[in-house]
Amino acid sequence: MTRSETLRFDAEAVPGRHDELRTSSGVLRAHWDPLVRALSGMGSSELGRRWESARRLIHDNGVTYNVYGDPRGMDRPWQLDPIPLVLHAGEWDSLGAGLAQRARLLDAILADVYGPQRLLRDELIPAELVLAHPTYLRPCHGMRIPIASWLQLYAADLARAPDGQWWVLADRTQAPSGAGYALENRLVVSRTLSEAFREGRVERLAGFFARLRDTLRGLAPHHRDNPRIALLTPGPYNETYFEHAYLARYLGLSLVEGGDLTVRDRALYLKTLGGLEQVDVLMRRVDDVFCDPLSLRSDSSLGVAGLLHAVRAGNVAVANALGSGLVETPALLAFLPGLCKALLGEELMLPSVATWWCGHESALEYVEEHLEELVIKPAFPGLRMEPQFGAGLSADQRASLLARVRARPHAFVAQEQVALSTAPVWDGERVQARNLVLRGYAVATGQGDWEAMPGGLTRVSSASDSLVVSMQRGGGSKDTWVTCEQLPLPLTLLRPAGAPIELSRGGTELPSRVADNLFWLGRYMERVEGTARIARGLLARVSDESSETEAVLEALLAALSRHIGLETPPAPDEDTFLVLLFGEVSARSLRATLAAIHQLAFSLRDQISLDTWRVLSELKQDLADSDAPVPTLPEANEILNRMIVRLSAWSGLAMDSMTRTLGWRFADMGRRLERSIWTATLLGACLGETHEDEAPRLEALLEVAESAITYRRRYGGELQAVPALDLLLTDETNPRSLVFQLVALDAHVAHLPASARASRAGEERIALGALTRARIADVSELCRVEEGKRLRLSALLERTLDDLRAFSDAITQSYLSHAGVAQRIESF
Amino acid sequence: MPPGAPLRYRVTHSTTYSYEELVSIGHNEVRLEPRGTPTETCLSTELAIEPTPALRASERDYFGNPTSFFTLQEPHHRMVIVATSELEVVASPRLVAEATPAWEELCDHLRGDCSREGLRVREMTFESPLVPIASAFADYARPSFLPGRPIAEAVLDLTRRVHADFKYRPGVTSITTPVAEVLEQRIGVCQDFAQLEIACLRALGLPARYVSGYIRTSPAPGATALVGADASHAWLAVFCGDAGWVGVDPTNDLVVSDQHVTVAWGRDYGDVSPVKGVVLGGGGHTVEVAVHVEPLT
Repeated sequence: MTRSETLRFDAEAVPGRHDELRTSSGVLRAHWDPLVRALSGMGSSELGRRWESARRLIHDNGVTYNVYGDPRGMDRPWQLDPIPLVLHAGEWDSLGAGLAQRARLLDAILADVYGPQRLLRDELIPAELVLAHPTYLRPCHGMRIPIASWLQLYAADLARAPDGQWWVLADRTQAPSGAGYALENRLVVSRTLSEAFREGRVERLAGFFARLRDTLRGLAPHHRDNPRIALLTPGPYNETYFEHAYLARYLGLSLVEGGDLTVRDRALYLKTLGGLEQVDVLMRRVDDVFCDPLSLRSDSSLGVAGLLHAVRAGNVAVANALGSGLVETPALLAFLPGLCKALLGEELMLPSVATWWCGHESALEYVEEHLEELVIKPAFPGLRMEPQFGAGLSADQRASLLARVRARPHAFVAQEQVALSTAPVWDGERVQARNLVLRGYAVATGQGDWEAMPGGLTRVSSASDSLVVSMQRGGGSKDTWVTCEQLPLPLTLLRPAGAPIELSRGGTELPSRVADNLFWLGRYMERVEGTARIARGLLARVSDESSETEAVLEALLAALSRHIGLETPPAPDEDTFLVLLFGEVSARSLRATLAAIHQLAFSLRDQISLDTWRVLSELKQDLADSDAPVPTLPEANEILNRMIVRLSAWSGLAMDSMTRTLGWRFADMGRRLERSIWTATLLGACLGETHEDEAPRLEALLEVAESAITYRRRYGGELQAVPALDLLLTDETNPRSLVFQLVALDAHVAHLPASARASRAGEERIALGALTRARIADVSELCRVEEGKRLRLSALLERTLDDLRAFSDAITQSYLSHAGVAQRIESF
Repeated sequence: MPPGAPLRYRVTHSTTYSYEELVSIGHNEVRLEPRGTPTETCLSTELAIEPTPALRASERDYFGNPTSFFTLQEPHHRMVIVATSELEVVASPRLVAEATPAWEELCDHLRGDCSREGLRVREMTFESPLVPIASAFADYARPSFLPGRPIAEAVLDLTRRVHADFKYRPGVTSITTPVAEVLEQRIGVCQDFAQLEIACLRALGLPARYVSGYIRTSPAPGATALVGADASHAWLAVFCGDAGWVGVDPTNDLVVSDQHVTVAWGRDYGDVSPVKGVVLGGGGHTVEVAVHVEPLT
């Protein structure tokens, strides 16, 4: 691809649209000037180079947006355009004030609707919009609300009409998404365009998030000086899971799923390894109806039974309050001007897109007459209907749509279509004009005051003529720059200035689910390494046809088959072997294990460092898609070598830079456990039976177990079973020996918290038993051969394998099981 | 006994859950204590729970029904809830069906009523989680709702038709059977019939609410035993203008009077289910329910 050296901002304006970049007479708007100058000076190829590295950053950081129903849906890379949307401070001030006013207004509406309902009696809100609304949560009526505020975070989708006026397309009041993506966009774009960012005097976002954190802290009913705040996520399959993990990390919140929480004594608790820890504030990214299967939707598995009772008892605060999704209905837009006057005594500053609620006869008549200019939408969530653009419908389609509306008019709204403004987007070569929608945010700062984020999440359409701007439909996003007169103060969230930091060496507060995930991450990583090491040993020998190699292959294949969970070892030919190695042959296969690692890493996003995440995501890329052809022998070798290097990076980086808290212990226990199993399996396969010349087997064994160099240093070139077994079974100084792993397991168990359960004796006894048996084993005795077999060695190894399995079960039972599955009961 | 004298009942409703595996924690919400109505006075009510809950709280829900919330925090294999209440019930005022307003008039009048009481009534005209609004229900109801017919007359006719057209058979439907399926299959139990008739009325824009409660177990002297007496019962009430909320029981084709005891009401079964909970663990479970409604003399 050739790129023109200069970057031209000469995309043709779309007629009848407001262009963010230029006035209607084609003059560049002044607040874009520094950015345009910087980008033009940089040129297309330099921008391309920088953007490549930014995209790598996005990919490596795992910034994703899951798209439902897309085969690549899980973790699709986040789409970001390098050119930010630039707004000048003066304009932003009025936008921000408008957002703050709407947030105050919607908060006041919620307070009335979930309280005295004066607005319904005074007919300022049609009764249907509340009483027929499927998410008017009756159990929340009359609920006590912390600091008398229903909303803490508010967002609105904004569009700019051809005359330059901003209009609100939709309000987001229950769990507004995207603020975290806005922050991530800022990090990436400000790094890519660092000069322009500095010179452009761009308002910083950190202050907004500091305010959000303060607001959340301020909600705590108890432990006000050091409240525990958790972010409730539906889990890794949610479209914006990346953002949940990212925000939790950035704001210092515990990222939790419904299963991590429990209600006792009308208070909310997090299940941790050290016991139950009370949660004071819950920021939710779960829709309110799903938050409590006892009092709200009973088919939900995302919430916590009894949460609403805990809220009503005043023992936990939820942000935004349960029930606040109600005012997201687009039908309300038609009534906001009157409501604003009645409730706030003010004119509505930021107008909404023209909206007709079909429940009013006169509105319905208008809609029938002007359908071709309007979009029809459901007024309530849960009605399965995409917005219908009147202009695009045939006469028959219009008639059937109107019949549908006529049947239940109160369930529909009609809106005018806004001709969206356009902003420059870089497609890799040229700058083009695309439609945009801006999501703006505001945070409550107490006493009814609100502060808008100086920036936001700008989303652009995928094609210039697209009417819909949606991340779900493949559109992209932009950073949003608000330029100010003064140089903004740098601010970071890492530590509030001057506040004394409470010393903490914690770790017992680790959620049980996270410990479980870390334990299995440790196991799976080690499992992959085990597979790769045996496979590499096999590959080196598979094309050698001498008779002594055959016996080696047989032993290694037996070890590999058992390791990856195959019933019978396959024939030792090259093709079978490669399919076995790279195919989807079992639940323990390389491919299945790597997929499981990827899933775990995804769920552990808030727990593992960026570098670790990168190592883990690269590991998956080593293996091509399952429909790609099976690699050739040399390719396979290369893949395995690469994998082993990455795995060493994992053990070095992740394991060594993790603080020695419980999280690390569980990851390392998983790793040691798996390595013990692997070593015992390998020893059994290679030494359980003997052949006349055992040297080739011993050589392979030592090589696969990464102990060949140590052996040679100690014993020279002569290979014998007794010293080899000593090195791999009982040598406590060899990090690859079985005893070394058992010592580590024994030490870990001794450090696990005792408070949580009574049965620690179980895993302690098992670990100590296995360790003692291996320690006192007489290696020469074990190596004695009777009728070609080492029965004593095999018996010891099998016993150890049984112990290890029991150990894993005991750990799961004591620390990781969630004490059963929640189920609903109901009776007449 | 002279006509018009109050009847006294003792109601015992026991629910026993037996779990295959231990339940480590269980949260429950029950609506078993009678709410009281103009014709029913609740003299005493008692809720016995085993094992003893770690926490117990009572309040009135959105619809004014007494609701008890309790948590069992000690591991258990069995949970027993026994609600015992004594009530005094007087016969409802005689319904003069032909004196009630024409049903369309009532619809029109309600549409603009934004008074406190008007809103409470209108709330019962909208669809609810278990009662969707669909033209099939309106079509079924239509033969009873001739133009200009007094509302109560039309409702009594509809109640008679549901009773005649639908077969009472326990065990075929469950809590999750959609009303549309009940209409199609013409089979079900009292909950299904109540929700079906509610769907018919709401499809025409009329306010109807779901009522849970009991009917007397042993028939009054000279009367036949009523259907649905061995468990909790369900029926509906329709707003008939000045005549207020009139209870009708499609399972027995009756106007509700002193043979019924009201516990709770709401939009549909989901608002008033007598016992619901979420437990951790438990594995498979069985539930036994026994209801006795004995007249006291």
